[in-house]
Amino acid sequence: MSRIDKYFKLNMNSATKQKTSGGCGCGSTSGTCKPQNQETAVKTTSCSCGSDSKSCRSHQEKSPISDEEFFKGAIDAAIGDERKKDGFDQVFDVKMDRRNAFKKLTASLLIGAGAVSSCTSIVSSNESKEKSQIDWEEQFKGNYKLMGDNEKKATVDRLVRSYQLRTGKNISMSSKNAEDDVLFGYAFNISKCQGYMDCVSACVEENNQDRNSQMQYIRIHEMKDGKGFNFNEADDNYYYEVPAEGHFYMGTQCFHCDNPPCVEVCPVQATWREDDGLVVVDYDWCVGCRYCMAACPYDGRRFNWSKPEVPEEEVNKTQHYLGNRMRKKGVVEKCTFCVQRSRAGENPACVEACPTGARVFGNLLDPDSTIRWVLENKKVFRLKEDLGTEPKFWYFID
Amino acid sequence: MNKNITAIFLTLSLLIALFFSSCKHKEEGYHSLTDKIQARSKHYKGTSISLEKHIEGLNLIEVTENEITFSIPTRKDQIKSFKCTECHIKPLKEMQNADIKKAHWNIKLKHANLEVMNCVTCHNGNNIDKLKSLTGHTIDFDKSYKLCSQCHHKQSKDWIGGAHGKRIGTWVPPRVSKTCVNCHNPHSPSFDTKWPARFNTQKVKERK
Amino acid sequence: MRRFKVFKSLVKDSLNLITQGSKKYHLWMAFLTLTMLIGMYCYSIQLEEGLSVTGMTDRVSWGLYISNFTFLVGVAAAAVMLVMPTYVLNDIDFKQAVLIGEGIAVAALIMCLAFVVADMGGPAVLWHMFPGIGVFNFPNSMLTWDVIALNGYLFINISIPFYILFRHYQGKESKKKVYLPGALISVFWAVGIHLVTAFLYQGLQARPFWNNALLGPRFLASAFAAGPALIILVLAIIRSFTEFKIEDKTLKKIAMVVTVAAQINIIMLVSELFKEFYAPTHHSESAYYLFFGLEGKTALLPWIWTAISMNVFATFILTFHKLRNNLNILYGACTLLFIAIWIEKGFGLIVPGFIPGPYGKIAEYTPTGIEIGVTIGIWAMGAFVFTMLARIAIGIETGSLRYKKKC
Repeated sequence: MSRIDKYFKLNMNSATKQKTSGGCGCGSTSGTCKPQNQETAVKTTSCSCGSDSKSCRSHQEKSPISDEEFFKGAIDAAIGDERKKDGFDQVFDVKMDRRNAFKKLTASLLIGAGAVSSCTSIVSSNESKEKSQIDWEEQFKGNYKLMGDNEKKATVDRLVRSYQLRTGKNISMSSKNAEDDVLFGYAFNISKCQGYMDCVSACVEENNQDRNSQMQYIRIHEMKDGKGFNFNEADDNYYYEVPAEGHFYMGTQCFHCDNPPCVEVCPVQATWREDDGLVVVDYDWCVGCRYCMAACPYDGRRFNWSKPEVPEEEVNKTQHYLGNRMRKKGVVEKCTFCVQRSRAGENPACVEACPTGARVFGNLLDPDSTIRWVLENKKVFRLKEDLGTEPKFWYFID
Repeated sequence: MNKNITAIFLTLSLLIALFFSSCKHKEEGYHSLTDKIQARSKHYKGTSISLEKHIEGLNLIEVTENEITFSIPTRKDQIKSFKCTECHIKPLKEMQNADIKKAHWNIKLKHANLEVMNCVTCHNGNNIDKLKSLTGHTIDFDKSYKLCSQCHHKQSKDWIGGAHGKRIGTWVPPRVSKTCVNCHNPHSPSFDTKWPARFNTQKVKERK
Repeated sequence: MRRFKVFKSLVKDSLNLITQGSKKYHLWMAFLTLTMLIGMYCYSIQLEEGLSVTGMTDRVSWGLYISNFTFLVGVAAAAVMLVMPTYVLNDIDFKQAVLIGEGIAVAALIMCLAFVVADMGGPAVLWHMFPGIGVFNFPNSMLTWDVIALNGYLFINISIPFYILFRHYQGKESKKKVYLPGALISVFWAVGIHLVTAFLYQGLQARPFWNNALLGPRFLASAFAAGPALIILVLAIIRSFTEFKIEDKTLKKIAMVVTVAAQINIIMLVSELFKEFYAPTHHSESAYYLFFGLEGKTALLPWIWTAISMNVFATFILTFHKLRNNLNILYGACTLLFIAIWIEKGFGLIVPGFIPGPYGKIAEYTPTGIEIGVTIGIWAMGAFVFTMLARIAIGIETGSLRYKKKC
């Protein structure tokens, strides 16, 4: 039975489903089923109803549908057939794939929750009812990676509205997908970095990171000249005028590996590599087991050990669902190459902020991009190359 | 007996299925990142994102060096007292007299040393609205990078490619970069030390 | 229907049994309950404030909870050391001890699951892991393998003894063809759960301290030393406090298992030490930190050296028949061995894996009071569960708990 057939039925899904449950679920013999079949055969086209093809076809020719029915059909197709099914069928008659099963579960929970919350609370205001409704829906939504574009938009709208209800302020959140023909790459010029840490400041402000624990995705390491990349003796906690004599500086952050070990080990697939190469985290799906943090060889990930707090006036209101939206405690976060900026055609905050131009960012698939020129003409290397993680973050020297 | 064999067979096939389904080959089948980049950029069509709003209000000129084309900001409209000849009508030779005040006394030249550089290494005495190369060719103020590249050839090559200097705009083409003098003061090009933008109090305990 | 009636009466009789007992029993249960309440209070603080109340940081992101989890998986796996001789080899001497062993396995597994939940940042969204309503990243993530392995093992260890006890409760014999396949599976599964838990760490190329081939076998060896040691101690306690008969022969045979496993554990330890210290590389830094301290950071030194000396000393004693067969010395050695392996597999394995961090930074880890509170609360819960299960099992096995049909 295709989805199109629904539109041509007067009685949409309820007729079909009643029929099947009457036919199989109640255990009645086919004899008792037949009168039902014949009665509704006029109204339905479903071939699974067991009526012969002749009655199906005749129905299709016979009944034009009204605008109202078409509208109803459109809603049904968009939201699903749960609304017309009875409870028994909602649970036992689901389609096979996990995503649809979950969609229906969410929908039934939504309906139940909506009914419960709206009719049981008399005293709470409309706003707090709406807030708890949004919280309920957010609690039971699925993995962002498996959502369709509509669902992504729906969850973004809920989050924006929830923020508005809580603080009275407006934010804009994007759920933009990866562009085609884009694979982001990053290059870092060690000779140019002077240890100014403008990148770190910009990153913290751009990405709404927790101020209490001074969370920073980027670490700048100061190393002594002449010893190579001796991380053991590097200092990432200096505070004097830079560049200091006899030292050089380099920065690390999440390298957005192309073979990320963190993605392999996540038990719920809360982190994954997008098509444009960014390794992202769905903060609402993460369960906080921190296996990814153990698996990352580059110290790329951070954990919210307590509730992250950002002063209201410093909150960056241009957000992306996978990027700098407000996180909650107990979830992992990391550098996203500023997905809210890079997918909108801007540079990440660190690239923008670096005064020396030590950071180069671009599209690896564009043969004329500066990142490709750097990879082809400068002596580049990556960290811990032997681990096979294929990071998309190269270092080079002048 | 039959049951046992069936059970063993089923277990084995399950194990083999598990093994192959968990095979760690990447979905696209590339063996390394560079292979993937080479393969996927073969059919590169460009992105639909536009750069317009980032370069609004900037006056740019396009340059092409080493077969690479990009834009840089103009310079002449950034210099307050350009053109020099609007005030200085006399040629340079006549201005070099004892009774006229010392010229541009507030510009300290801290660029190489006197054996190598002085004012007229770059500035054109015959046409003070223009600069001149080592061989005497005229160079426009907007294209002053040609001067720098005479000595700083390596940095110039890097700059043209995009590895040196700062890019205005974003990763989206077309490329707009700052030119040499947008960062380096040509009379005193090096940078002083300064304090970092932040200090972390939380991470001190990790210090060795 | 009849089975359900029997089950109902079993539950009622068991509840009657476990709520009655000597003064010592009540004191013990009260102590456990108090400890559990303390643990719950600490956990509620952790839920409220987040995991910042523990000593874990971005550098050392797994600490006391996961250490205990790792160790207890081993203890649970060790029940197989009793299951195999009893059901497969039909060794009569083990028959009395096997139900106790499986009871320990169940309690240990419940503790493991509790530690994992306590360690999670978002226990409210644990349902994200269930296949069907959530996303289960099988077979890529070893954690999912571990979830399947542990829950399956818990199921086997509940169902097989339950079946046997249910039959005995009714005064009937348990049918071999029902429990034997399960028992056989559980032998392999026990090895499996501990290997899979070892693979959790072994598979991380980012942590060279764990990324070696010997971690899995070492886990097995230490599990088969510590688990049966605990079983011996528990059996000794049961012997003295109940009328459940356990022969000396049984204890001595289990002691043999402990000895061999402990010896193999020492051999593997020597192998690891050789690899780390004969030609040290950058990857040996974690071992240096653990055994000798790095850059003046020596927090783990007293722990590991106590553990190693207790381990070697206990193994040495157990090697000699005369000493091992003296039950009091045996109990002492088993206690030493249990504590030593707890330290070695807990602090001596999980924490050094994270130190030094990926960029060489040394951030030492000290568990906070809340962490310790939750940990002992969960241990108390395990002891509580085990005491209940043991009393029921002993009651049924000694014949005092029987199904009385209502005439």
